[in-house]
Amino acid sequence: MNPIDYNKYTATVIVWLLLLTMPFWLPAIGGYSELGTRVVVLGLAAMSLNFLLGYTGVLSFGHAAYFGLGAYGVGLTIRYLVPSTGVGIVAGTLIGTIAGAIIGPMIVRLRGVYFAMVTIAFGQVFFFIAFRWHSVTGGDDGLTDWSRMPINLGFTTIDIQHDARAFYYLVLVVFAIAVGAMAWILRSPFGRTLIAIRENERRARFLGIPVDQHIWIAWTISCCFVSVAGALYALLNNFVDPRALYWTQSGDFVIMAVLGGMRSFWGPLLGAAIFVVLQDYLSSQTQNWMSFVGLFFVLVVLFFPRGVLGIIKRKVAS
Amino acid sequence: MSLLRVENVSKQFGSLIAVNGVSMNVEPGELRAVIGPNGAGKTTFFNLISGFLTPTAGRVTFDNEDITHMLPARRVWKGIARTFQITEVFPELSVRENLRVPVEVAAGHRLSPWLSADDDGEIRARVTDLMDMSGLADKADRLVGELSHGDQRATEIMMALALKPRLLLLDEPTAGMGDQETYDIAQLIRKLHKDQSLTIVLIEHDMRVVFHLADRIMVLAEGAMLAEGTPKEIAANETVQAAYLGKAAA
Amino acid sequence: MTQLILFNVFNGLIVGAFYALMALGLSLIMNLSGVINFAHGGFLAVGAYLAYSLIPYIGFWGGLIVAPFLTAFIGLIVERVLIRRLYGRDPLYSLLLTFGLAFMFEDGTRFIWGAQSLPYQVPGWLLSPLSSELFFLTGYRLFMVLIVAIAVIGLFLILGRTRLGIRIRAGTLDLETVSVLGVNVRILRNLNFGLGIYLAGLAGVLAAGMLGLQPTIGSSLIMPSFVAIIVGGLGSLPGTLLGGLLIGVASGITTVFFPSATEAVMYVMMAAVLLVRPHGLLGEEGRF
Repeated sequence: MNPIDYNKYTATVIVWLLLLTMPFWLPAIGGYSELGTRVVVLGLAAMSLNFLLGYTGVLSFGHAAYFGLGAYGVGLTIRYLVPSTGVGIVAGTLIGTIAGAIIGPMIVRLRGVYFAMVTIAFGQVFFFIAFRWHSVTGGDDGLTDWSRMPINLGFTTIDIQHDARAFYYLVLVVFAIAVGAMAWILRSPFGRTLIAIRENERRARFLGIPVDQHIWIAWTISCCFVSVAGALYALLNNFVDPRALYWTQSGDFVIMAVLGGMRSFWGPLLGAAIFVVLQDYLSSQTQNWMSFVGLFFVLVVLFFPRGVLGIIKRKVAS
Repeated sequence: MSLLRVENVSKQFGSLIAVNGVSMNVEPGELRAVIGPNGAGKTTFFNLISGFLTPTAGRVTFDNEDITHMLPARRVWKGIARTFQITEVFPELSVRENLRVPVEVAAGHRLSPWLSADDDGEIRARVTDLMDMSGLADKADRLVGELSHGDQRATEIMMALALKPRLLLLDEPTAGMGDQETYDIAQLIRKLHKDQSLTIVLIEHDMRVVFHLADRIMVLAEGAMLAEGTPKEIAANETVQAAYLGKAAA
Repeated sequence: MTQLILFNVFNGLIVGAFYALMALGLSLIMNLSGVINFAHGGFLAVGAYLAYSLIPYIGFWGGLIVAPFLTAFIGLIVERVLIRRLYGRDPLYSLLLTFGLAFMFEDGTRFIWGAQSLPYQVPGWLLSPLSSELFFLTGYRLFMVLIVAIAVIGLFLILGRTRLGIRIRAGTLDLETVSVLGVNVRILRNLNFGLGIYLAGLAGVLAAGMLGLQPTIGSSLIMPSFVAIIVGGLGSLPGTLLGGLLIGVASGITTVFFPSATEAVMYVMMAAVLLVRPHGLLGEEGRF
């Protein structure tokens, strides 16, 4: 095993150990169980975004839309159709993925800031639907009167409704599946074409890679994973409102990815942890937490553009 | 039967005519050099063949198929590979990974979510072959962005070759190189041409390389074809000497 | 019914004029510097609130003239201190920075002027309808259209006739050549940013009179401005103007027949345009 592979292996083991034991040590350092679940859920969203941002080199600023669709998907399914957590997650994921796949062809020809702009603008469509379609979505007040359902495995029932720890582990299982799939794809020949596009789009195109098509597929995959995260987010809160779809939420995902380190697989998860804890703290301390979050964005851009893991990597390398 | 047939292609940017009614036929196994002073439209001409640009007039046929308006990636699948005047590689990937991408594309795996152990073995072997052929084997795990200019050029040529092309387009392969590097690249091109009877079209400024390698030479000036023939004929051509070689010598 | 439609078309035109004014500023900055200025809405709000605070001292007209310049001045400083550092880096970073600034502006205005809606004084004679037939044609609305028209014509004159404008346009096409020709690109980008922010400030002052003053006034106008740019054509200023007016009118008409789709209609238009012309109505292929 060469040193780089060894480092990656060690990092993966450490991350999983921390995640698996989180409910046991988090309260000891002043956290609460819901906070840990939020880190994992938003971490998944940021990692999904980073699949595009860090590995394909495509700047999406509209991922909140698909996150929110996943959230509404699960909420609406449980509220109106089938009172089942599992079916809800699947439905939410499907809705987000299909929406992404449909929007994809309209945006894949654009690049850079223009891609960012169009993805944000499209995201707003879903925001306004959720906002305006009051009779179904509850509009600005959000979708209420539903909650996550116990999971019936036949031989036993897991009460994720009242047992916060059980819910955390359910979220962790879904997280593991999604993250495992992502890592798998990135190591595949298709994944290598994405990294090739990030590295040099022109070269990739003239090596016989139809770049637009590959970006479309990567975009759809990324939307799929982020809608899984959205579904989990709604289950966590037993509630969805249009803010989950709003463009500022997309910005949060991007800053998480950048803060943790876009070029590393686990970076966005670390970024999400820092961001969630910071936001939680600020909003409990001051009314003007938005200013501080804004200032935080500015400081990250000016002083930590490579992210925490990017800096650590550099230190290790030198 | 010509492998590549370019018929009267023109490319106009606004009021500027970069390429004006140029035709060229390249036979299988031929090594053709395209020369001309700066701004003669050589790179634009190349871009019309590789699909980077589409011509405003004229036709490009490859292996009897009209490819004038075909997307670049499709042209690659048909067997046209190219390099660029300014090296285009994947700088933050290793030499091995740089070569692996085109090898997998050529093997039809660009969309594969996994590889069988057999396929994986074949691909690794092919990557190793390519590195051995170009003397890059001892730098296999170095990042390409950290290699010397000459090695980056060689990597780019091998990436194009990894596609198993039937026609290789090289845009100034020796640009910016010292004598030793120029010699090495010229030897590599010669080897590809002779050993694999690969059809090559190259743009080149270094006349030693051109006259050493080319079977035939085409001269462009101000977007139009000035002359075409064997190296001997071109060397003896008075128009060419006046318009180009004379200037270069002065 | 006809009157209702006319009313809404006219209303849409005015709203569209705002979008266009905003979007022109955004476009200017994006085309020359490659920066999506998320804080544009924040600058608009600053312009509006500055005018509000100045009016008691220098009157409505004074506010209308001074506030946009003050806003532009703040813009010059922000560009000089923060945004300039990010040119030539991945556009991601300037996006995140202006995004953070947008948060700070919105929260800052809320902190200084309060979260509640503030009354904005417009001279009485501007508020009366011109005729009872066309009750909606108040003087203020016509006045706004007039000011926007003057601003837009002024902008195109500056870009077409002045040395600064010609340099901005040349820089948009090929910044490297312009720099080689001896133009100071740093100053050019700075002034161009200021010009864009001036338009945002002006839009803010005008919008306050129509929409009322609240901290979210900027963020509610920025998305439609993005859509205006995309619909009109990326990289094209006349396209941006056209896009703004088009989506404004389309929203106006939709209000009559299908009020709940008022906001959504512009996004539907955007999707349609992107499908048929990926680079927008007046955009050029291959500019990016």
